[in-house]
Amino acid sequence: MNLQVIVIEGLSAMTTAASLFIIAAGLSLIFGALRVINVAHGTLYMYGAYFMATLFAASGSGWLFWVGLLVAPLFVAAIGAIAEVTLLRRVYERDHLVQLLVTYSLFLILSDLALRFWGTASLSANQPPSLSGAAMVGGVMFPAYDLFVIGCAVAMGLALWALLGRTMLGWKIRAAVEDPETLAASGTNVKRLFTLVFAIGSGLAGFGGAVIAPLQSVDPGMGQSVIVSAFIVAVIGGLGSIAGAAIGATLIGIVEAVGIFYLPSWAPAFIFVAMIVVLAVRPVGLMGQKLGY
Amino acid sequence: MAAQPALPPVADQISRKRDQGLHPAVLAAGLAVIVLMLAAGPDYLGQSALLELELILGLAVFAAATNLLLGYGGLVSFGQATFYGIGAYAIALNWMHWKLPFWLAFSAAPFAAALAAFFVGLIALRARKLYFALLTLAFSQLFYVVAEQQYHFTGGANGIFGKMIPPALAVPQNGYWFILGVAVVALLALWKITVSPFGLLLRATRERPERAESLGLNVFGHQLMAFVLSGFFCGLAGALYAVYNQNAYPELLDWVKSGDPVMMSVIGGMYSFLGPVVGAFIYEIARQFLVGTTRDWQLILGVVLLVIILFMPDGLIGQFKHGLPWRKGGRK
Repeated sequence: MNLQVIVIEGLSAMTTAASLFIIAAGLSLIFGALRVINVAHGTLYMYGAYFMATLFAASGSGWLFWVGLLVAPLFVAAIGAIAEVTLLRRVYERDHLVQLLVTYSLFLILSDLALRFWGTASLSANQPPSLSGAAMVGGVMFPAYDLFVIGCAVAMGLALWALLGRTMLGWKIRAAVEDPETLAASGTNVKRLFTLVFAIGSGLAGFGGAVIAPLQSVDPGMGQSVIVSAFIVAVIGGLGSIAGAAIGATLIGIVEAVGIFYLPSWAPAFIFVAMIVVLAVRPVGLMGQKLGY
Repeated sequence: MAAQPALPPVADQISRKRDQGLHPAVLAAGLAVIVLMLAAGPDYLGQSALLELELILGLAVFAAATNLLLGYGGLVSFGQATFYGIGAYAIALNWMHWKLPFWLAFSAAPFAAALAAFFVGLIALRARKLYFALLTLAFSQLFYVVAEQQYHFTGGANGIFGKMIPPALAVPQNGYWFILGVAVVALLALWKITVSPFGLLLRATRERPERAESLGLNVFGHQLMAFVLSGFFCGLAGALYAVYNQNAYPELLDWVKSGDPVMMSVIGGMYSFLGPVVGAFIYEIARQFLVGTTRDWQLILGVVLLVIILFMPDGLIGQFKHGLPWRKGGRK
């Protein structure tokens, strides 16, 4: 195997890792603060992708891509906020089965509505002209859009790190994880904070869908399959840990690239094996903390 | 929330509720009448209704077996379709590759599923609660992608279709009676398990795992046993599916398929033995009806599920029990 192959394979692995991180980060953020696994997260991601594809079908010009990248997260964040206020808020005190089933119901409802709005046919969104070519990296030609996806993932990771570690809002979110009662007593509207966190997490899903839309066909089965990858990444990293999600995504990206290179027909099974092995060794994931649930 | 001490599950009330509802003798007589009416089905039901019942009977076993974990063990598995699918694939793969007699394959199917459940359980039960749910889901997807990818062995995404059952069973009435008979025996066996000392200890592991452990109970061992037993009966249900539909395909192993018996249990009521069985009937009949009349059956299912989760934690059976007017006085 020569150097060029390694660079290309490495970049593909990073692209896979980037798209996995983009979808898992919001899931982990929500879990970190709310202790809820959102089964509908993949469906929200699909809404972001559909939004982008619809926008593209409407015009097809390049600048609308950037508008979509901005508006799709807001659109999906609004759906998330509505779901939080009407449904999730009622079940934070209930056990995890109830929470899983509520988000599962949400998954069913949102999938059905997506079918109603967009039908069963698969749509596609093109890459904007400025990102549709190839770029030279380390002596090889690589699709510019894939590099853009990697850049988006890095930017998202840095933004979340800054948000959680460097802002008042982030401190409050972390305080809500540890001790919501004290936070409420010190004058924070915890209910509104949770709605906001859920909206941000959903918005990240919407952003992810919008970014990924030009790379694949957008169809009704998207949410159902992508949520499994998101679970795997978030669980390997440790639920609630953004850094863990980044590590999990990188690990899965590498495992998948190696798998596709050597044993293509078994490659899809490898990521599940990776998760099973990690959890068998560390039942709370790589960066997860042991908590009482 | 995180800081909240884990409340005893709703299930804690099961001991108080045990004596409610119908008198056991009345219940047993009622069930016997229902089984007899089902057995006489071919005399008064049309072909399509019989086929529908065949499917539902298998699903009822699937749901009751899943509920052994869910309601009795407090273990939320989103991976029981793994064993359902293995049951169906055992018959289909045997028909395609090994050509052993059908009856041998049918008898071996639940054991194959139980064996898989043993290994899955060994790993998955090390994780707790949510991680357990997600790990079982991952196993479900693992088997799904393997079945889908290894097309030279499993027929890939199309699955395996063919005359995999003996001619005697292919006669509609015989097939129906066979499925009914197996389902009734399986449900009786599952019920026996839930009322056995093992079943009671399993409930103890759900309600107070630490206490059960400190009293010398092997919690992991009991949970693993429950997982294997559940896998066995899920596999049997899958084998019944192969008899009913004469095929096996990857979606039988999918995580969404694993969600079905969980929903049936929740709809019917996971804290009573018959809840999942009732749930299977309601779910499947409603699904058939809605699929025929509206495009939005998933939407309606989601809303109904939400209403039940939020307002009737004990499902429809629980609702019925609370609703019996002459029992109200006795309730604390």
